[in-house]
Amino acid sequence: MYTIELDKVRKAYGQFVAVNDLSFKIEQGAVFGLLGPNGAGKTSTIRMMIGITAPDTGEIRLFGQPFHRQHLNNIGYLPEERGLYKKMKVLDQLIFLGELHGLTAAIARQKAIDWCKKMEISEKLQSKVEELSKGMQQKIQFIAALLHDPDFIIMDEPFFGLDPVNATLLKDVLLELKKQGKTILFSTHRMDQVEKLCDSICLINKGVPVLQGNLKQLKSQFGKNNVQIGYEGDGSFLEHNALVGSFNNYGNYVEVQLAPGADSQQLLRMVAERSRVNRFELMEPSLEEIFIEVVGKNDA
Amino acid sequence: MMRNTFLIARREYIERIKTKAFLVMTILIPAIMAGSLYLPGIFVSRMSSAAKHLVVAVSDPQTGEIIRRQLEQVRQEEQQERQEIEQKEPQPRRTMPQASRFTVDMDTNTSDAERASLADQVKQKKLDGVIWAPREALAAKRVTFITRDVSSFEENSQIQMSVARALQRETLKSKGLTDTEIDNAQSLVLVAPENPSGGGAGDFKTTFFALVFLITVLYVTVLLYGINVMQAVLEEKSSRVMEVMLASAKPKELMAGKILGVGAVSLTQIGIWVLAGVVFASGGLIANGAELAKAISLRTVLFFVVFYVLGYALYSTLYAAVGAMVNSQQEAQQLQQLVALPLILPLLMLSYIVQYPGAPLSVAASIFPLTSPLIMFARISLQIPPWWQIGASIGVLVITIYGIVLLCARIYRVGILMYGKKPTLPEIMKWIRYA
Repeated sequence: MYTIELDKVRKAYGQFVAVNDLSFKIEQGAVFGLLGPNGAGKTSTIRMMIGITAPDTGEIRLFGQPFHRQHLNNIGYLPEERGLYKKMKVLDQLIFLGELHGLTAAIARQKAIDWCKKMEISEKLQSKVEELSKGMQQKIQFIAALLHDPDFIIMDEPFFGLDPVNATLLKDVLLELKKQGKTILFSTHRMDQVEKLCDSICLINKGVPVLQGNLKQLKSQFGKNNVQIGYEGDGSFLEHNALVGSFNNYGNYVEVQLAPGADSQQLLRMVAERSRVNRFELMEPSLEEIFIEVVGKNDA
Repeated sequence: MMRNTFLIARREYIERIKTKAFLVMTILIPAIMAGSLYLPGIFVSRMSSAAKHLVVAVSDPQTGEIIRRQLEQVRQEEQQERQEIEQKEPQPRRTMPQASRFTVDMDTNTSDAERASLADQVKQKKLDGVIWAPREALAAKRVTFITRDVSSFEENSQIQMSVARALQRETLKSKGLTDTEIDNAQSLVLVAPENPSGGGAGDFKTTFFALVFLITVLYVTVLLYGINVMQAVLEEKSSRVMEVMLASAKPKELMAGKILGVGAVSLTQIGIWVLAGVVFASGGLIANGAELAKAISLRTVLFFVVFYVLGYALYSTLYAAVGAMVNSQQEAQQLQQLVALPLILPLLMLSYIVQYPGAPLSVAASIFPLTSPLIMFARISLQIPPWWQIGASIGVLVITIYGIVLLCARIYRVGILMYGKKPTLPEIMKWIRYA
């Protein structure tokens, strides 16, 4: 069962094509990363998912059905542009937003109180939003997205502007939600942050998907091409070596990029013969490196 | 659809009612209105309550005596009239400027030097005024009234009237008429307007006052609350709450909720004003209350609410679209004035409408939707126009509102997600055409 399916979705604003031919599916209970640089079309994609705009062509299915506004009561959305009614009290605001998502006032109130306790912000329930610090407002915004217990959670740049303590708090809550079987979509340009959390990703650039799939598979596809070697002895054998594409000597260790098709085990044996090895590590490329590589290739 | 709109409207209503601004506006607006209408009257009557010392300078003491008598008599006539009115209705007419009480001295020295000395005494406040009426002035039918307050309308017209009557009296007397005959000849005939169905118009001055008062309230409230809607939209846009709201509500619901919520606030406020007006007027606490209440009939109040609701619906929708288009208060300014323009037009036309309520231009302006809320209401409160015209006015207005709502909803839908630069007209046209 897929929580959301995008099938060849396209959205253009006049001449500008924001999203082009984008397809992906997110399995129920998965953590999915929608990644890409600023202006890649992430927010445009999300807006189509929750019916703020409609795709020009292509189809979006939510919970196995064509989009229907009723689905919105089962989606939690944290927009990139955070905003709350500044003059409104925290509790009133949460109740209001909960009611808009279909809760009754009484249930919304109870949930708001529970969530504020969980997010360690209970003492601010009766404060006006404008009296709160930025970080506290972020928490309220976060609660507002989760209050109605949605099965599909969309977070646009969730960690932006959070201090490490609150970022960890948020991460823990999200992992707990994942355990409960909720589907989570992260949208961000900070790829290092979601790398640790996501099961699968879709990388988009200029409205076009450039890479997608299971994160581990993608990495193995791209990765294990770099080796970090720590050794004692003469390293001159690395030069003019058929196994080595290029290398970088950092003094304490050398980073080697294997030649295409070269076997890392062969290199290990070779190094072991000529020097004392104290470290030999196959490096996974970071998402960022993959992105730069893919985008660089596409642009070239 | 309905639930979201209701929730949004309710939030808007509750948050606004709770603000100090609402309280201040509720008290301040009628206070300013009442102040601007009644303060000058109160002020004038205070000023004129003390007896004024005048000098009549004439060549012929007999003429002077007649003028003096006429001026001092004004007070008595006024009191008599007042007693008659009070017998008919017990309301005291507190703010009707009271006739000045004059003490009048006569001066038969009409030399230029005397005139200069009298003028000097007026300047030094030893005298309140000099009626300079030597033989030559009377022959030329141009008497000078030397006063420190040349613009005091009530007082000067009283002097004008008294001197003219006195001179008439002198002429008639010289023709051999008795005082009674002259009194009879001089008493003015009252012409009372009455509409074909037999209803009286009441005092024209009061009707006009009431009209200006109501039109001003109508104009101020439509404009004020229209702009309130614009600011509410702008605030949601600039604080980015819009993004959060859009995750559960349609732009149409947001717009409708805003307009209904702010509209409910304004109706609450108007309700408070009407209630307060009724209470104060019936308690006689507002001077002239009874008269005003007579001029403002139940029908007028009813039509006021009808045309307020329609006018508000039209203009607040336009203002909602403006709020969605712009990014800041400064950007809003120009467009805001543009929208207000057709609302100001009726104010400029008001004196024409009052004079010619049935003229083709008045009829056209009372059916043209951008001016009709104010103009049709003005016509109704002056004299009830043919029913087909009222029907046409309301009909055209309702159809226009429907069209404007559809149009503005499209602008709104796109505008609220657009940040950065102000859209150009062709861009807005494009927004409207988006599916």
